[in-house]
Amino acid sequence: MDPNLWLPALLGIAVLLPLFSFSTIVVCGPAMGRGGKLAGYWATLCIALSFAFSMLAFVLWVNQHPPQESHHGGSHEVAEADVHFDHAAERAGDEHHDDDPEHHHAEGRHEHHADDERDHDHHDVVPITPCVGYWYRLGQFGSLHLDIGYYIDSLTVCMFCMVTLIAMCIHFYALGYMHEELDDVTDHEVTLQDGSHLHRPGRFHRFFQYMSLFSFSMLGLVVSGNLAMTFAFWELVGICSYFLIGFYVERKSASTAANKAFIVNRIGDFGMIIGLMAIWTGLGTLDFGDVPRTDGQGQVVTDEQGDTIYEAGIFSLVRPSDADYVLVIPDGMVQLAARAEVDQIVRDHVNHDDILAASHSEIASRTDDWRKDRYGYWLMFVAGVGIFCGCVGKSAQFPLHTWLPDAMEGPTPVSALVHSATMVAAGVFLVGRFYAFFLPEVLLVIAIVGCITLFLAATIAITATDIKRVLAYSTISQLGYMMLALGVGGWLAGMLHLFTHAFFKSLLFLCSGSVIHAVHTNEMTEMGGLRKKMPWTAYTMLIGCLAIAGAGIPLLIGFSGYYSKDYILEQIFSFWRHTPANATLGVTFFCFAAGGAAITAFYMFRLWFMTFAGSPRDPARYEHAHESPPVMYLPLVVLAVFAVGVAWKPFFIDVNLENLLEAARPMGTAATVTGQLIGTEWPNEHLAHHAENYEAVVVPVTLIAFLTSLCGFFLAVLFYGWRSLDPSDVRRQFRPIYRLLLNKWWFDELYDFLFVRPTLLLSRIVAGIDKRWIDWLVDSTASLTTSLSRWGDRWIDNGIVDGLANLTARWTCNVGLSFRRVQTGRLRQYVMFIVLGTVAIFILITWTRSLAG
Amino acid sequence: MDNPIFLLSFIVFAPAVGALILVFFPKGNADVIRLFTLAVTIVVFIVTALLTIPGFWDNSFDTSLTAMQDTFRLPWVPTFDIEYFMGIDGISFPLVVLTAFICVLAMGASWSVTKHVKGYCILFLLLETGMLGVFMALDFFLFYVFWEVMLLPMYFLIGVWGGSRKEYAAIKFFLYTLVGSVLMLIAILMLYFNSDLTQLGAEQLIAANIIEQPDGTSADEAFTQWLKSEDLLAEKFNAKKDDPSQMLHTFNVLALQQMGQHTSLFDDFGTDAESSLPVKLLGGGPQHWAFLLLFIGFVIKVPSVPFHTWLPDAHVEAPTPISMILAGILLKMGGYGIIRMCYPICPAAGYSLAWLVCTVGVVSMVYGAFAALAQKDFKRLVAYSSVSHMGYVVLGLGVWNVAAITNSDYWNMGVQGAMFQMIAHGISSAGMFFLVGVVYDRVHHRNLDEFGGLFGKMPLYTGLSVVIFFAALGLPGLCGFIGEVFVVLSVWNYSMVLAVISAAVVILTAGYILWTIQRVYLGADYRGPHEEELTPINSREILIAAPLVFFAILFGVYPKIVLQYMEPTIDRQVTELVEWQKDMESRKISGALLPEMDVGRLQTEQRFDDIEERDNNLSLFDERTRRKLQPD
Repeated sequence: MDPNLWLPALLGIAVLLPLFSFSTIVVCGPAMGRGGKLAGYWATLCIALSFAFSMLAFVLWVNQHPPQESHHGGSHEVAEADVHFDHAAERAGDEHHDDDPEHHHAEGRHEHHADDERDHDHHDVVPITPCVGYWYRLGQFGSLHLDIGYYIDSLTVCMFCMVTLIAMCIHFYALGYMHEELDDVTDHEVTLQDGSHLHRPGRFHRFFQYMSLFSFSMLGLVVSGNLAMTFAFWELVGICSYFLIGFYVERKSASTAANKAFIVNRIGDFGMIIGLMAIWTGLGTLDFGDVPRTDGQGQVVTDEQGDTIYEAGIFSLVRPSDADYVLVIPDGMVQLAARAEVDQIVRDHVNHDDILAASHSEIASRTDDWRKDRYGYWLMFVAGVGIFCGCVGKSAQFPLHTWLPDAMEGPTPVSALVHSATMVAAGVFLVGRFYAFFLPEVLLVIAIVGCITLFLAATIAITATDIKRVLAYSTISQLGYMMLALGVGGWLAGMLHLFTHAFFKSLLFLCSGSVIHAVHTNEMTEMGGLRKKMPWTAYTMLIGCLAIAGAGIPLLIGFSGYYSKDYILEQIFSFWRHTPANATLGVTFFCFAAGGAAITAFYMFRLWFMTFAGSPRDPARYEHAHESPPVMYLPLVVLAVFAVGVAWKPFFIDVNLENLLEAARPMGTAATVTGQLIGTEWPNEHLAHHAENYEAVVVPVTLIAFLTSLCGFFLAVLFYGWRSLDPSDVRRQFRPIYRLLLNKWWFDELYDFLFVRPTLLLSRIVAGIDKRWIDWLVDSTASLTTSLSRWGDRWIDNGIVDGLANLTARWTCNVGLSFRRVQTGRLRQYVMFIVLGTVAIFILITWTRSLAG
Repeated sequence: MDNPIFLLSFIVFAPAVGALILVFFPKGNADVIRLFTLAVTIVVFIVTALLTIPGFWDNSFDTSLTAMQDTFRLPWVPTFDIEYFMGIDGISFPLVVLTAFICVLAMGASWSVTKHVKGYCILFLLLETGMLGVFMALDFFLFYVFWEVMLLPMYFLIGVWGGSRKEYAAIKFFLYTLVGSVLMLIAILMLYFNSDLTQLGAEQLIAANIIEQPDGTSADEAFTQWLKSEDLLAEKFNAKKDDPSQMLHTFNVLALQQMGQHTSLFDDFGTDAESSLPVKLLGGGPQHWAFLLLFIGFVIKVPSVPFHTWLPDAHVEAPTPISMILAGILLKMGGYGIIRMCYPICPAAGYSLAWLVCTVGVVSMVYGAFAALAQKDFKRLVAYSSVSHMGYVVLGLGVWNVAAITNSDYWNMGVQGAMFQMIAHGISSAGMFFLVGVVYDRVHHRNLDEFGGLFGKMPLYTGLSVVIFFAALGLPGLCGFIGEVFVVLSVWNYSMVLAVISAAVVILTAGYILWTIQRVYLGADYRGPHEEELTPINSREILIAAPLVFFAILFGVYPKIVLQYMEPTIDRQVTELVEWQKDMESRKISGALLPEMDVGRLQTEQRFDDIEERDNNLSLFDERTRRKLQPD
């Protein structure tokens, strides 16, 4: 069976199943059992089927493309690569001697090229062709078109399995967690005008309806074959997130948080649209891969040999295979940037017979010169940063991170699925998917944003006492890690962390949900000692904490977080040590990342100890607490298993997460690259984990990571486990810092002052312009016209027109009166008048005739 | 229904005939009058809907044709060459269907009108005739007549059946639109008196539907046959074709388009007798002035900033169904006028004034969105959102620049986006006004700060509203998204600055829509008066809202269903205009026919010198670059 037909079909069904579930629940939700109970089962069944189809697709894919041992850690030789850092440093130092800008300028691209060539190991890699195509066409504009399509590679397949698996666990969990919504609910957080609490019907089915829609949107986002479709599903997951954050619609805080989430995301999307526009205009396509060309009837077009003709997608335009997959500025971008020159050429050729051919050939001949003059380079930069802006919004990176903590207003399963494991990771996913497009300068932006975010969020998490908010900031911080990893060239490290994080963070959230379910509060200051009451929750959560802290036996084995975090740190270290030019940036990144690891361990264990260890802080709540039902803790166990072992590499089989991801690595990104505008150099990711660098990179980094995490862990134990140190002393000691962290660095206040208020003010001004100026103008024109006509009425009509009429009347009257005297009654006199009149008329006629003639 | 005369005339005049019949209805039974009116609108809608099915009738709309279809011409006022000339193509047909569709729904929503029902229904039907006529008329004078026919019923519908400030709103609407009409009339006459059919060639006369080309004959044969025929126009043509001082004027829109694109008739107001220089008015020829006047006239209708302030008042005061028609259909006439009249008839002006069109569009988008953010009145907010959304239409139509010569796809995309946005906005804005009306009928106020908690009290209503509002927000999967994305993506090719500004509008739109939803539907309490009146939506209201929701989703998920009707015609129009553009640019280069024709011979020679000089400079420049790029 042909995987190119089966894969889209299987994944297509996996995408559509949740949509089907959504539609059925929309139509007959309340009628599905008591309180809509069946809706929950139905949605869970659909997502489970979706998982089954994803697994089928996975098997099919692995069968077709058996994963091979990657270069990481193997004894495989990276052809002629500078695997030792000392060499690399020397080489870079040499290059810096002849830093002649003119020379650099002219040969920029070639140098770049040569550099890549050296470390490039594409020769050993047979490119795995992703399965690309489209389902239907949204619009056709001449030769341009927008599709609903798919791009399936091993990353897509893995994401499908991960998303559906986690979603399935969370659906099961939610069946238990949301059971209160089956009956009428009294919402104690909402006080009505008359002082009573809100009493409303349950919304069990509605919850599952939104969850299904979300699963559909998320899967659509993962499978999407072009940026426009990505953007569409991007917005759809955003709106699902909006609905789910605002699930308790009656709470003002919930609806405000939902609005905030959506609007902040739209700010990111604004950047993303700019990126889309630049790419669309520059490249004339938004497809990721090469799509078979079709004619008007949807039939695939073939050439004379019967081979399918492909339309180049973005990836093959920016990294053409005949240029060894090195990033080049595509012709379209160059020509777009050189618009003034291009227009001139077109104008000059316009009276040729074949204007298109004539101008095209001249434009083509000059494109290379333009490219050397860096035309289009900044456009690529803008496009890359624009796309990244969307990711900043969705993945809650600095400076758009403020929405995610507020998003915790939603029910906890939502936080686990949408706001930690899948949707917020979509930003990282898109950076990973679109990695081939990013210029080194864009990578730098990504790294800086990631670095700031991971540190900022980690610090805020220290002081937060709301259990979900701690996890929310932790999520932001971990996403920052991924961004930083991607930004310093660690594609695999970032994507691996995306997967491991999805499992342990959803586990952590579900555990916190289980706790909240038991004690009915989010405040950790009212918890404590719960591990005796709810062991399943406590120990699965401990696994989660260990996983996120990256616990393991150094250099031997560990929880999943151990692998991904080490990969990230290794790549940052490798980036730092690669060339002297990287040193400042690199050391900053590394310190923040390693420090962040310590803080992570600290706040995670702070959370665990405050919740589960010691004596209860609120005895009433403690008494009330109980372990959750199996439908809730069994998913925890499943997720815990994955949190432990998802990154393991069994020696007997090549199918492991790392190899699968490595197979999806965008062509040409396993290479050392240098920016054209900055001296920084991005080392090939394979160098960091290469066997020859075991002592230079892997060992020290692993040990540093282990030690920093251990520090954090012991601090947490000192403060909250043994309670031998008192946190309130520290609070007093560092009061300003504590206040800064407690107020989340005052970002909300700052944004309110900088953006929200001015926007509202501007809107009032605009509305005022309408009322005061434009309408004033219209109204006063009207009243002017009215008074003019009134004036006219008085003077012209009454005075002149009526005056004239009256005058005529009077005159006629007078004439008539005077004629009265003529009417004498004498016949002779009358005859004389007639004769005289006739003569007069005759004379008059003759006279006019002579005049006319 | 196989004769286009009968078919199109039926669509246009069925409502008018219905109105005439209504006159003889007894006054008392309001429901019978309403049902009759509804029946008339439904019949018209069914006929137009059947036209969409290919091959249902011989005259069903054929998506494979790019030209005007179902055309017919009858002399109406032969003295002035005014004809009863109608037809449909991919630009007008979707709007015709939309009109008939929205009219049915609006009539369904008219049950809430209880005052002078008979008069209301008569005016309603007359209004429908006017609107349908505008979209189908191909004679500029006929177009104008329909345009005016629609104006008066609207005036009365707002002025009699409106809210507390109805007189003010009605007069404001009337005056604004009247100013637009007057400007349009001047432009029409200007074009008429500068037109000359005898300047057109055989193929162009065929394209203008003046000559019929029987199968198997060449254009020239058809032309000679036509000249010999008894046709009234042919006789006039024969009489005037050899005399350059005699012009054969026409109101035929298609012929005017041909003249605009293939002759220099509209470039200047004749030649000065003494200096033999072309006559211009303030540096512009007839087509510049006609374009500007028509554009202002249409933009008042769209409406774009700064001619928009009639819209909020008219909407706030108009009864719900009239608001639906106003937003759903009337505004589209502006966009339709620009795409049908302005650009094809006056391409040179449209090309050189593209910046104006685009700027007006972007300014409206931003301004409308900001103004919407500040509104406290529910209907006013929706009205301003219309200003913002119709800005996309104007912007999409305007993105025409030099780059179109080599690649016209982006402009094509802009125009398709604009057309789609018109349909999408027709659905979503009509829906929004209807939904506002539903709650207004219950609680009799529209103050946004005095709503809240409708989610709990009217759940189904809230669900429908949320879909429609999200369609307006431009959420993917709903109709608003497609138009906006098409337009926005096409803009970068025209201007980066405008593109960035237009992209920023998505933030503001999200802001005012979400804030509105929060204030009206979410929350625990209803904060306004008449809480006990908040009953769930009834089945009549569901019947009106549900189709709108259905189409909002359908068009958003599968836009091809609308685009398939538009695409061929838009492709053709864009291609023709780009052909004209190539022609114009090449004439500009050779200096033969500069668009600024007020150049004497001396100046022309000067220009030749300039070109030579520039060529020299260019080669110099090339030389320099080459030298620079060569490694020393």
